[in-house]
Amino acid sequence: MTEPTFFVLTALLDGPRHGYGIVAEVTDLSQGRVRLKIGSLYGALDRLVGGGLIELDREEAWQGRLRRYYRLTERGRHALDAEARRLAANARLASIRLRRQNPIEGTSA
Amino acid sequence: MSRLEERYRRVLRLLPAGYRRQWEDDMVAAFLETMQTGDAETDEYLADHGRPSLAEMTSILSLAVRLRIGGPDAPPRPYVWGQAVRLAVLTGVLTQAAMATVGLAVTLWLTGALSWLPAPASEWALVPPIGTWQATLHVAGYAWLPAFLALVLGHRRVAQAVAVIAIAPQAVTVAVEQAAGPAPLTVAAWAMLVVELLLLVAMSAVHRDGVPVARRRWLLALPVGILAVPVPLFVAQASMPALRLLDWPGLCCVLVVVAMVVHLGVRAFRPPSRTLPWSLALVILAATALVQRTATLPDLVGQVQRTALLTIASVQIVAVLAVGVPLAVLAFRLLRHLPSVSAAAQPPHTAD
Repeated sequence: MTEPTFFVLTALLDGPRHGYGIVAEVTDLSQGRVRLKIGSLYGALDRLVGGGLIELDREEAWQGRLRRYYRLTERGRHALDAEARRLAANARLASIRLRRQNPIEGTSA
Repeated sequence: MSRLEERYRRVLRLLPAGYRRQWEDDMVAAFLETMQTGDAETDEYLADHGRPSLAEMTSILSLAVRLRIGGPDAPPRPYVWGQAVRLAVLTGVLTQAAMATVGLAVTLWLTGALSWLPAPASEWALVPPIGTWQATLHVAGYAWLPAFLALVLGHRRVAQAVAVIAIAPQAVTVAVEQAAGPAPLTVAAWAMLVVELLLLVAMSAVHRDGVPVARRRWLLALPVGILAVPVPLFVAQASMPALRLLDWPGLCCVLVVVAMVVHLGVRAFRPPSRTLPWSLALVILAATALVQRTATLPDLVGQVQRTALLTIASVQIVAVLAVGVPLAVLAFRLLRHLPSVSAAAQPPHTAD
């Protein structure tokens, strides 16, 4: 799972969002580190919809335009859960090794 | 519609029509929101004078490339295009690798390292590289061999990094000689460089989205290719001076014509849908060879044997067109019947 995809799914965890809503939430979640470009966002959305990980929630009119809201599916939730566990396990591995290198302080030098 | 929206929609035209039907309005709405600052005056100014940033345009461009040159989960038409590009790239890198290997073998032979071979004639005496730079340039070209192996074995990024080693010294030389060289540079040097750079960029299409490469076949293709093309060519050119009139763009034309003729023969006995990626790959290679041949024609005008060279080049152009155009017509006719947007992705095939 690519980083943009991971953040898009995470952004949709607490409720449906529209395109710009996802961009803003991902910027917030990553503390400004990941700034999704529209091409990358819709590349990810297209794949996620195709793979059944997200789906259209509703359409709302806003300033004369239609906003499409997307929501996470059960399948998407499972995929994100699996990816989060995998990343957490990787991070744990690294932390254990780092602590072993510097056991007294419990941190790396 | 604001000027900014017009500009953004113009960039979105890079995307396939089917994709735009589904996503364009949504993308425009999201983009326009990202451009809003909260200050009415600034927003009004941006609506008139603002432009999508370079990063936004690049993201659309890379999405367009990804959608058009598809992986196994893409609809049939972009998937076939993807396979064609992957086959053309592998063939291009294979050609570079085969030529580099024989170049290395010939250099070793001329320096006497291959003592079991008959000694080279005195007229073939090796001119030692004048300086460190020439030596670097000479050795760097051999990097195409490890680049090919890395590409076939699935290390695409390594392959690209190694190919940069092959290309970078050559690029610097071409640029420096063009700027300060004693004689005006030939078009051929630039043409070769452009083709190699295109190859480097297009290598990104290989192994993307987990499209497997038929390793054994491509690895076998290297020794077969070496024995079938550069070795006999070197022997023939060494014994028949007339054959030395065949330059690199000319050789590319000859190779692609032979490959297309063989392919047309094979195609007659197989279901056309299976051979379509190869048909398109050969059309891409033929078009490249044709452009390279045509662009380098001015080089030939300045040569002593220009009449013979121009005649040979014309025959090469006619031959590529005579075989390439019918193949392209057949391939595109077949391609038109494939859906460009569909949920039903084709089962993945290996790039063989």
